[in-house]
Amino acid sequence: MSNNQPRIVGFLCNWCSYAGADMAGTSRMAYPPNIRIIRVPCSGRVDPLFIAKCFQRGADGVLVAGCHPGDCHYVEGNYYSRRRFALLRELLDFIGIERERLRLEWVSAAEGKRFKEVISSFSDEVTKLGPRKDL
Amino acid sequence: MSEDFAQQIREKARELLEKGEVTCVIGYETGTDGRTARPAFIYDAADADRLVFDNTCTHNLAKYLLNKKGQPTAVVVKACDARALNLLLGEKQIKREEFFAIGVVCPGVVESGWMRQGETLQLRCQGCTEHTPPLYDFLVGEPAEEPAPEPSYEDVAEIEGMELEGRTEFWAKQFERCIRCYGCRQVCPGCFCIDCFAELLDPEWVGIRIAPPEKQMWNLIRAFHLTGRCIGCRECERVCPVNIPLSLLNRKMEKEVLRLFGFKAGMSPEALMPLATYSKEDKLGIGE
Repeated sequence: MSNNQPRIVGFLCNWCSYAGADMAGTSRMAYPPNIRIIRVPCSGRVDPLFIAKCFQRGADGVLVAGCHPGDCHYVEGNYYSRRRFALLRELLDFIGIERERLRLEWVSAAEGKRFKEVISSFSDEVTKLGPRKDL
Repeated sequence: MSEDFAQQIREKARELLEKGEVTCVIGYETGTDGRTARPAFIYDAADADRLVFDNTCTHNLAKYLLNKKGQPTAVVVKACDARALNLLLGEKQIKREEFFAIGVVCPGVVESGWMRQGETLQLRCQGCTEHTPPLYDFLVGEPAEEPAPEPSYEDVAEIEGMELEGRTEFWAKQFERCIRCYGCRQVCPGCFCIDCFAELLDPEWVGIRIAPPEKQMWNLIRAFHLTGRCIGCRECERVCPVNIPLSLLNRKMEKEVLRLFGFKAGMSPEALMPLATYSKEDKLGIGE
């Protein structure tokens, strides 16, 4: 973590959260610049390998954001990802990566304001946790 | 008792091979050290006398069925190995009509190795929750009467109870020894991908470098791929040449799966593992 700025990777679903981020941008809302956004087709596309690779390469936090339950473009992708990350964060915590460093959020295409709030609170939380200690 | 078990296994094996119901019986025979058991592949009824069963029969033979596709095969299974059969059936890796399970009511196996036969039961057997195989065609021994004891996760709770720094340090020390021989994968009945993520070059998930990040990556994802699937035979831990307590990771996830979904892997071939399905009403403390 350089200059005490955390590095956060955000996997945003194409149909809701990415559009939500776009909404935040077009509405000229300011949010912390330390998130690197990666667009994925669905939150269900996010393989635990992606998360592990981010942490291996030095990310301080990983955000996965998708459509609200019931709104998934592929009907059920976000339900699968919910189960997956509920278990993954327990495993991460067990080996020494705080569970708070992995966050799953639902942000719809209309929720630019919510996107801003999610990024701000996650960024604050990761800053408070400080740099990673496990590697 | 073990001689009696061996006799029953031999008779069944002979009968199956003579009738031509199977082409091979996978069981145990005495190894070249004259003491400890090793896997045996019996193709001829005349060789059935080589089969033994004793407290050094530690190997999980269910995995060999993956190499016997299309050939009817009989396999000797302890309770934990039979759970592996259920896992493989549920994941459509083996066909029910292609194997015959000779189940053994397992009294537990001891720590053993080349020329070395221990006295104490292996840890997995000390905490064994079922001695009778959940799946068999022919049972050797009397099914246990008493209800299965609750699994104990004391060792997992001990790590959980540590401060974050303690856990980090503990696992860093363990993973540091990993030489990535992938023995844990080769022996695991749940690891049967033809292309393992560890060997993919594009994308290269785990680099070829032998350094802490790669070691951590391998062990983390190995454990996660077995989440809700690990049947607790602890073969990974037994074969690990550098004694990494891999079952701690497996059992941590087993505990979480039991807590969140009330699911135990390998108890029936029909049950879908929790990550292969979902419920709209899931309350997991995340993304509600």
